[in-house]
Amino acid sequence: MKKFNITVNGKAYEVEVEEVGGVASPVQRTAPRATAPAATAAPAPAAAPKAAAPAAAAPIAEGGEKVVSPMPGTIFDIKVAVGDTVSQGDVLLILEAMKMENEITAPAGGKVLSINTNKGASVNSGDVLVVIG
Amino acid sequence: MSVNKLDDLKRRKEVIVAGGGEKRIAKQHESGKLTARERLDLLFDEGTFVELDAFVKHRCTNFGMESVEAPAEGVITGYGKVDGRLVYAYSQDFTVVGGSLGEMHAGKICKAMDNALKMGAPIVGINDSGGARIQEAVDALSGYGKIFFKNTMASGVIPQITAIMGPCAGGAVYSPALTDFVFMVDKTSQMFITGPQVIKTVTGEEVTAEALGGAMTHNSVSGVSQFIAKTDQECIEDIRRLLGYLPSNNMETAPEYACEDDINALEEALNSMMPENPNKPYDMHDLIRAVVDGGDFMEYLPHYAKNIITGFARLNGKTIGIVANQPKILAGCLDVNASDKSARFIRTCDSFNISLLNIVDVPGFLPGTQQEYGGIIRHGAKMLYAYSEATVPKLTLIVRKAYGGAYLAMCSKDLGADLVLAWPSAEIAVMGPQGAANIVFRGEIQSADDPVETRARLIQEYTDEFATPYKAAERGFVDDVIEPAATRPRLIDAFDMLSSKRETRPAKKHGNLPM
Repeated sequence: MKKFNITVNGKAYEVEVEEVGGVASPVQRTAPRATAPAATAAPAPAAAPKAAAPAAAAPIAEGGEKVVSPMPGTIFDIKVAVGDTVSQGDVLLILEAMKMENEITAPAGGKVLSINTNKGASVNSGDVLVVIG
Repeated sequence: MSVNKLDDLKRRKEVIVAGGGEKRIAKQHESGKLTARERLDLLFDEGTFVELDAFVKHRCTNFGMESVEAPAEGVITGYGKVDGRLVYAYSQDFTVVGGSLGEMHAGKICKAMDNALKMGAPIVGINDSGGARIQEAVDALSGYGKIFFKNTMASGVIPQITAIMGPCAGGAVYSPALTDFVFMVDKTSQMFITGPQVIKTVTGEEVTAEALGGAMTHNSVSGVSQFIAKTDQECIEDIRRLLGYLPSNNMETAPEYACEDDINALEEALNSMMPENPNKPYDMHDLIRAVVDGGDFMEYLPHYAKNIITGFARLNGKTIGIVANQPKILAGCLDVNASDKSARFIRTCDSFNISLLNIVDVPGFLPGTQQEYGGIIRHGAKMLYAYSEATVPKLTLIVRKAYGGAYLAMCSKDLGADLVLAWPSAEIAVMGPQGAANIVFRGEIQSADDPVETRARLIQEYTDEFATPYKAAERGFVDDVIEPAATRPRLIDAFDMLSSKRETRPAKKHGNLPM
């Protein structure tokens, strides 16, 4: 059990921290001490954006595997709907890019948790298109 | 000779063959691994393996090492036959001081490498080692250094193959990286410079050894290893197969095998293989298998940069190296990783006198900031360099798209292709019809009464005129336009014609390959 004094928005809190499992190595023991001063400022500002973030990214289902666009292009067709069960290798959607109707396939089997794009939408490489879980 | 001396020899050899003892061998088997000796027995034709340097001992007296017995010094070295051809090998014994590398252990490996180089025979290194023998300090480090140097000296002279069949960490990873081919066994092998513990201490990242440096990671993410197998047995079988595609050294050609397929047979299915719509993908593997002997294709780096396919096959019994765009993945674009992968493969083939077949269906280089920042210019240059530098027979077959710089990078006539064949479906131009029409006919489209209709008509005009192989054939950039069904006989005939090719390059110390 370790005790820390943390100040949030000018208000001081005494916090007890218990490390669960794992043997505290010398390196790990120094780590909490080093982060303690930083923690005084961190919690309050961090809380606000965290609350906002899920709202903005709401359509992206959590916990599943994200299928991202491999290159910039346009969504030519969507072959699945939310709730569909797909197997590995099934075509999820068609991405028109580089003069090719590219088949975007499921990297693993599962249920389609969310579809995060629309037919005709322009997407960039790395954009989340579908989430499978 | 007295019976005693013979008994003594027998007893000494028994101790060496017993390795780390029954317990450790049982543990090795439990973890899904074969022992160093079992691996060599599988690698070589039955009864052909000859062990050398079995009596070598370490000279370390630090930290109680003077009392440590290490049979065969933790690595078994020697030579034998693979399909009747001489091959050298070394196999680290994890049951003997963890297969750790010290001065004499490294000395044995170096000696095997020297002999392989002198005899012009391939060398196979089987890695299963805890790393440097720390008690031997700088002597162990020196051992690695000597191996790296010899790897580099042997590079391009004899094929060097490494199999990772256990841990391979720290300095040990660089010898495999310097060799031509790296095999890994799924779930039982790992490679990394710094392990999960060090990473956690330094950066705080938590990662498992498997995710960090497992076989699939290096076969699909980093591209460090080109081949992955499920078991030790499968891995060794693959190594034997690969050796069949390679010559023993850079002065020879690969062994020829009898071809059971008809070399003049037409493959009618190829005439209808290409989709009507040029924007539809297809699997390039189907085309490759339809053309090569027995549909037999040994793919190099099949899980990495899948937008380009590289690998070995045979035509009329002779080894060829194939580089082919894969329209199914990333539209078949060239990108940083695809350029890297193919450049390395092209140079491997050129080193060992393996003719190159380049099958082209490429829309261009992949656009985007990621690619530009990633240095696609310098990576793409590797491909141009590798093709230009290669003096082996180079045959380019254009089956569909061949646009812009990517057309050149896939070994166009100008990069020294000895023969360029094209299917009637080939489209060879600076860019696709849509893009080209927008630029060439900009004024005409803008001033037209019906710009949409005019644009469509002009695209069609451009397509009819330029999206064909005939413009390129008119200039001699394409040597012939062939019926797809006749591809196999035409390729066999062409490689036969090219087999006497001689081409020299200006004398130089070495070229300066873009890195």
